[in-house]
Amino acid sequence: MSAKLETLRQNLTQHLGHRIAAMQIALDEITIDVEVVNYPETMQLLRDIPELGFAQLIDLCGVDYSTYGDAPEGAAVGKRFAAVSHLLSVTHNWRVRVRCFAVDDEFPSIPSVVSIWNSVNWFEREAFDLYGIVFPGHPDLRRILTDYGFVGHPFRKDFPTTGYVEMRYDDAQKRVIYEPVSIEMREITPRIVRPANYGNVENA
Amino acid sequence: MGIEGILQEGFVTTTADKLINYMRTGSMWPMTFGLACCAIEMIHTGCSRYDLDRFGIVFRPSPRQSDVMIVAGTLTNKMAPALRKVYDQMAEPRWVISMGSCANGGGYYHYSYSVVRGCDRIVPVDIYVPGCPPTSEALIYGLLQLQGKINRTSTIARKP
Repeated sequence: MSAKLETLRQNLTQHLGHRIAAMQIALDEITIDVEVVNYPETMQLLRDIPELGFAQLIDLCGVDYSTYGDAPEGAAVGKRFAAVSHLLSVTHNWRVRVRCFAVDDEFPSIPSVVSIWNSVNWFEREAFDLYGIVFPGHPDLRRILTDYGFVGHPFRKDFPTTGYVEMRYDDAQKRVIYEPVSIEMREITPRIVRPANYGNVENA
Repeated sequence: MGIEGILQEGFVTTTADKLINYMRTGSMWPMTFGLACCAIEMIHTGCSRYDLDRFGIVFRPSPRQSDVMIVAGTLTNKMAPALRKVYDQMAEPRWVISMGSCANGGGYYHYSYSVVRGCDRIVPVDIYVPGCPPTSEALIYGLLQLQGKINRTSTIARKP
């Protein structure tokens, strides 16, 4: 672990304290887990405290942990949905990853941070669209990527790849219509073609 | 065609069908409908190396002025109504070239929830150009095939 990363770790621990539910350091990157109740406050502190100085939010994305192989170490195990943010401090040239698990799996809800970083607006809309995570406090929470009137959240693990509807032009109605999907879902498992221990990696 | 005697006076005789088809194939103006990476290849075809202008093929930004629509790329469910609307706005006679695997039958995204499995589900297609993406030569070949198809149609003399 580099000296800079150690400084960042110390600053995080010192300024956020009990708000950090868990912290993992891997591959020279720091990930902190935050409870939903502490989430907005923690994010505000991450931006406003000069020793942390995370002025930029690079990305926020949803995660569905429902069939996740290994439960994330030290995290709140068993929760299904999380919002993961990547923050960057230009002044200090360091980054941190913040993960926040939604409490309720049926109605995942995580407070919005639009008031802190304006750039998160479309990212939260994306997470809402693809995972169904609701962000209370978001000024304009509607779908961003999927079709108008789309039903479901396609990046959830229980959403079939082929979806439920397909589209065609109906000559009688003179418009494009939706119909129940007509093809079988096919799962393609990639075949690994490489010699054993290729690149000094043990074959799984 | 009997041209003896007449040619010297500056006349050439032909059938109306041949004349019409000559005009149609000589200026097939495509509607620019680039949807994905195929569009880049379509732009290559239109640029100086392959130079579609020499076939009289000039890209138009408006469906009202176009004869051909080149569906270049992945057609998603969200885009499909717009594609159909643009097709409906084109004046007849009109033709459609489906360019690339995605437009032909969904291609790589065939099993996706958000992609139309072939643009022929939305608009009637005349020529399918295979490839992912098709090369510029392939697209030109497809356009020449379309010229051949237009040449075989007869507008005046209906053949049984």
